[in-house]
Amino acid sequence: MDAHQVAMKKKKVPDWLNSSLWISAPPPADDRPQRSVSDLSAAPTEPLTRPPVPVQPPSAARQEPPPEPEVEEPRDGDGGESQESGLPSAEEISRQSQLLAELSRKVVDMRELRKIASQGIPDGAGIRSTVWKLLLGFLPADRGLWSSELAKRRSQYKNFKGELLMNPSEIARRLEECTTCDSELRSDTSGMLSRSDITHGEHPLSLGNTSIWNKFFQDTEIIEQIDRDVKRTHPDMHFFCGDSSFAESNQEALKTMLIIYAKLNPGVRYVQGMNEILALLFYVFRNDPDEENAASAEADAFFCFVELLSGFRDNFCQQLDNSVVGIRSTISRLSQLLKEYDEELWRHLEITTKVNPQFYAFRWITLLLTQEFNFADSLQIWDTLLSDPDGPQETLLRVCCAMLILVRRRLLAGDFTSNLRLLQNYPPTNISHLLYVANKLRVRGSS
Amino acid sequence: MRCIKGKRKRLILEGRSREKEKKDHLWRVANLWGGTRKMVLVLALGDLHVPHRAPDLPAKFKSMLVPGKIQHIICTGNLCIKEVHDYLKTLCPDLHIARGEYDEETRYPETKTLTIGQFKLGLCHGHQVIPWGDLDSLAMLQRQLDVDILVTGHTHQFTAYKHEGGVVINPGSATGAYSSITYDVNPSFVLMDIDGLRVVVYVYELIDGEVKVDKIDFKKTTTTTAH
Repeated sequence: MDAHQVAMKKKKVPDWLNSSLWISAPPPADDRPQRSVSDLSAAPTEPLTRPPVPVQPPSAARQEPPPEPEVEEPRDGDGGESQESGLPSAEEISRQSQLLAELSRKVVDMRELRKIASQGIPDGAGIRSTVWKLLLGFLPADRGLWSSELAKRRSQYKNFKGELLMNPSEIARRLEECTTCDSELRSDTSGMLSRSDITHGEHPLSLGNTSIWNKFFQDTEIIEQIDRDVKRTHPDMHFFCGDSSFAESNQEALKTMLIIYAKLNPGVRYVQGMNEILALLFYVFRNDPDEENAASAEADAFFCFVELLSGFRDNFCQQLDNSVVGIRSTISRLSQLLKEYDEELWRHLEITTKVNPQFYAFRWITLLLTQEFNFADSLQIWDTLLSDPDGPQETLLRVCCAMLILVRRRLLAGDFTSNLRLLQNYPPTNISHLLYVANKLRVRGSS
Repeated sequence: MRCIKGKRKRLILEGRSREKEKKDHLWRVANLWGGTRKMVLVLALGDLHVPHRAPDLPAKFKSMLVPGKIQHIICTGNLCIKEVHDYLKTLCPDLHIARGEYDEETRYPETKTLTIGQFKLGLCHGHQVIPWGDLDSLAMLQRQLDVDILVTGHTHQFTAYKHEGGVVINPGSATGAYSSITYDVNPSFVLMDIDGLRVVVYVYELIDGEVKVDKIDFKKTTTTTAH
């Protein structure tokens, strides 16, 4: 308990967070604090030595489990052994087995899944891909429908690719019904070749607005931008950048998905930053241990990207910037939240040092924090963002508040320049702790 | 006029480095569509005779010919001056020219062959082939060059002729300049859309002040030539 409290004090969180109410038990071996959501609803329970809670064996369950303390006993034999091993803690193992249990049900209980996933999805069993697909609504809860749903979506994506990526020559050829009048190049007949009329006034140099050729060349601009951004995505990762054909095929896939999204959504088209969000999704799906899923990662990632972006679209649409749903209003809501939780910090930031939240929060919000933390941390944050029942946008705002609160001591001591520099290059931090604080903000309200 | 001195030379050299940047950019733009089958647009034109017989390309042609759309230009010759060469270079960095008898640049080749996609193209001005514009003689030249499509000029009349050895295309005169044979010349040029084994030849002609576009389709069955 002492070590934990000392750690908390070092991070200088507000005093109300420091009360013993939140700290219920000695920390587990790797010093990670408890983040169980259930701690709030039920009585604070110990992580390892739990009162025996009746648990339905997952294999037998055919209906919804009873809504009691959600922290279930670990499955037989899984939890006890690996306590000493450095990497996955006992708690992680138990979460992993809970998730696996949940996923092996006939009908996945989404509420249950969200509760477990919001604590973080362990990297061990490679289940993140499936869990995210469930959370984003790409896979239905009923497992029996999975194969048909997947097949349907994947073929839909294939159709998109075929239709939207056709170059105008092919389109022109399909437009004209008669294709039998092609002369052969080296046949025995000779003579003047006859000129035929062009259909619909379509020719490559056409400048008409409805001309497929003209639209093709106009799209080239967007495609150029997508190409540039994709090449710059995560240059330090072999997955995305490098000379290997693997990296190239991944980049091609990213490009294709973004191009199709731009063509299907003329209102938003492509905005710089979408590549980062898509890259994270695609990485997770592509590393699915199941071979078939990994091979269809492109199609799956595309639809999940559409789903994820549907909540955040308004942030990318420039015309909506100043409206009630646009990015500016989101940023001002963040400001309001900070004022509620930590008025002193808010006052110091916005009034005294005049650090307008637009300077740092814009990137935090539109890119869903992918640029602020390293890759592994972003994955963990997204676990929480996607699984929280409040929805990704609300959760994101709470996490942003938590980020500010965690560095409050440095912010309170700094001026405009140093604060801005700090917030635009947010220091690496313990993500579990960050999410823990964000979670506490949910119930706390005003300090 | 032949030797360029001092300031003009420096400007031209500067222009060349800027040109290279633009060239790389345009090249990337024009070749961005990866995909499985790349569509290639080839502009064929010639016999402009600027400035002696015509001041410039017709305005309606110039408005259509914008950079970034065309991947290759093949020019039958008789530009005649460097300014036309530079203008064509701005449209597309990959420019191929054969020498016409009035060209001021003497270093253009008499004939040229190049491969674009699945097709082999040949280029020659045509004043060397006698009788001028005789299709059989041109067919002989084509067999000699061993190309699928031979592009020649000199007659200032658009023709597209098919024989056993391939196809001969004459894009006419892009400015409508008078020829050694006739004064009645409509400005014309040709844009070829090479897509796999198919070629669609779009013929652009300026008739009575209006641009008229026609097309000709043909294809080849095999990728390798029998010769």
